[in-house]
Amino acid sequence: MFRRILALVKKEFLHLKGDWWLPAFMLFGGALELLAIGWATSRPITNLPMMIWDMDRTAASRDLVISLENTGVFAMTEPAESMETIQDQMDRGEINAAVIIPHGFANEIDTIGGEPVLQVILNGAESIPAREALRAVEGVVRSLDEEITIDHLGVNPDLFKGFDFSLRVWFNEALNEAYYTTPAELALMLEFTILIFAALTFSREREFGTLEQLLVMPFSSIEIIIGKSIPVILVGLFDFTLMLGVVHFAFHVPVRGSIFLLFGLAFMYTLVELGKGMAISVFSKSQHQAFLLVFMVGMIDFLFTGYAAPVESMPKAIQYLAYLVPAHHWLSIMRGITLKGSTIIDILPNILFLLGLGVVIGFFSLRYIRKALD
Amino acid sequence: MSIRHLWAVIRKELQHILRDRGTFLLVLVTPTLVLLLMTYSLAVEIQHVPIALLDYDQSATSREFIYQITAGDDLDLYQNAASMEEVEDLLIKGKIKAAIIIGPEFSSDLLAMRGLSLQIIIDGTEPETGGFAVDHIGWRAEAFANEVLAEQILASGISLDSLEPIDLRIRSWYNPSLEPRVDIVPGLLSIVLGFPAFSVALTLAREHEHSTMEQLLATPISRIELLLGKMIPYILAGLVNVIVIPIIAMAWFNVPFNGNFIEFLLLSTLFLFAELSMGMIIGVFMKSQSAALALSFLVVLFPGFFLTGIFFPIAALPEMARMESMFLPGTHYAIITRGVFLPGIGIDTLWPYAIMLVILGLAFTGTAALFFKKKLA
Repeated sequence: MFRRILALVKKEFLHLKGDWWLPAFMLFGGALELLAIGWATSRPITNLPMMIWDMDRTAASRDLVISLENTGVFAMTEPAESMETIQDQMDRGEINAAVIIPHGFANEIDTIGGEPVLQVILNGAESIPAREALRAVEGVVRSLDEEITIDHLGVNPDLFKGFDFSLRVWFNEALNEAYYTTPAELALMLEFTILIFAALTFSREREFGTLEQLLVMPFSSIEIIIGKSIPVILVGLFDFTLMLGVVHFAFHVPVRGSIFLLFGLAFMYTLVELGKGMAISVFSKSQHQAFLLVFMVGMIDFLFTGYAAPVESMPKAIQYLAYLVPAHHWLSIMRGITLKGSTIIDILPNILFLLGLGVVIGFFSLRYIRKALD
Repeated sequence: MSIRHLWAVIRKELQHILRDRGTFLLVLVTPTLVLLLMTYSLAVEIQHVPIALLDYDQSATSREFIYQITAGDDLDLYQNAASMEEVEDLLIKGKIKAAIIIGPEFSSDLLAMRGLSLQIIIDGTEPETGGFAVDHIGWRAEAFANEVLAEQILASGISLDSLEPIDLRIRSWYNPSLEPRVDIVPGLLSIVLGFPAFSVALTLAREHEHSTMEQLLATPISRIELLLGKMIPYILAGLVNVIVIPIIAMAWFNVPFNGNFIEFLLLSTLFLFAELSMGMIIGVFMKSQSAALALSFLVVLFPGFFLTGIFFPIAALPEMARMESMFLPGTHYAIITRGVFLPGIGIDTLWPYAIMLVILGLAFTGTAALFFKKKLA
């Protein structure tokens, strides 16, 4: 039996030899992409174009502009002279925010009981930068408020600083964006790689009409399945190792838990996704169809991982559905072992779910594939 | 170029698509379906963030504070912890995203105006959720402190208003309450309309893989006719989605569409031309469908997500990545869709982006045709 399986594995690798692009993508594409995207986007949001319309033109208004610049969130454009300029630039999407400092701003600040007005316009057509801009402006205004109050009342500065609290960030003390994004991107790439490769297994043979040839050979269906699985598993684990290396060495994401546990669970996750991919592969009539299905399934999974939006905030029904998505548990496991140093006990629910899903998916895929092959 | 030749290729391609109903359906519905799914999950407003509380003070004031903190929909009290170890355990297991530690001096400090003896811990593996929790706890804490201190402050002759002298008037244009779905739906259009590009890459690669490319080239059809003929059916499939998606956006997601629909259709066609040309280059170079798909993911799908300014602003990208984003049709189209949907601007303002799309489309198609010729010569 082993010799026959070995022969099948060899055959799979022979396919790859003919077209070296595919193995190159399969082995290194994910890691390269992770490197590029991680480098480009694992950073705080800065440089948002902001337009100032300073009607006041005083030391106080200039100080305010400098404070806004010092947050590092904004890049100031040419100052505006009229509302039309702001409207025009905003419509074109050239600026994310505008601040209008009206006449008498400094005067109002200097008079006790005065009410300095500050107008902020956000570009709601890009809500993510708009929120970031809002947060930064509010921060600047809050500290200015404090200064003014203390100045006006001539009180002890300690008195009004009283509402601050101490904040600690666990597992990611410096709030490093890469810690958060790269493990999730790794999980995503790994899933797509395994699914595509697994979806190829039977759909390709069927498209070329070679599936029948394979079936008339003296292989049992189990042998065919195992022979087709081994290359996928090898590629999956190789990719995982390489991408983990990128995440750890290029982005300095720590692996605080047991690396053996991580690899063991990566193997388990690979098997689960393999089962899904193979089922798609048998179901599809052509490679084109198999790929489109992989794409849909991958996208749906992506939504439930909690990468894009926290699962806790979704409707209850969707939260239950998320438990049925292997990638959801895999992401929790990844984050747990790398960042939190979780032990096997801490992530036991996720492991059990993954195991359960693996058994169910494996059972049905196997039955379905065998039925289709026999 | 002859229309008859072009039509022959289009007909052949349509037959391929139509013969296999499953594939046809997938090509047609994938963009709209993925947009629906993604909007649902991405436009989730953060709420019900599970938190734990550790109250060392155990006073009436701290209990009132806890009550106010958990009164809304934004934060959910998952557990009243008894010790720091318990908080730690909950954070490691991912049961809570933030914890509030109320110090033993909380009420006495507050009443003596010595500050807030309060510590907030957040889970740094999900900074988005953690930051949200910090903001909301902070606001509530400040409001609570103001309330408790109101009498004392008033007695000292200070009005509550004077604690926040600056009148900050914030307005958000086009999307007054900054709802994510309003700008996510137009933004996602530039991703989901890219899906037909995968199909273009695949059908060209299929001809290589099945060795039917030589047969096609033996016919009097020119190469450029062949490429365009392969592309046009998928542009049409894309256009069906261009028509359906704004309707869904308006009727289902309440996203306004303020621009001119005819202009939008025209601009979208330009985008499809440019984006699908990218698929064509891939299809010309790759000899197997699987390699074509893998490359499509690497150069079309993932950069489309991360480098076109939909989720991460282009201004914040590093210089190199910003340059790369200019070569992605999705970058220009995302500006167009947001502009047409929300401020409702038209071609008179958006023409520079339209020109960029045309240039990119011609450059990509030209490259594809050039290499196509070389490879087969």
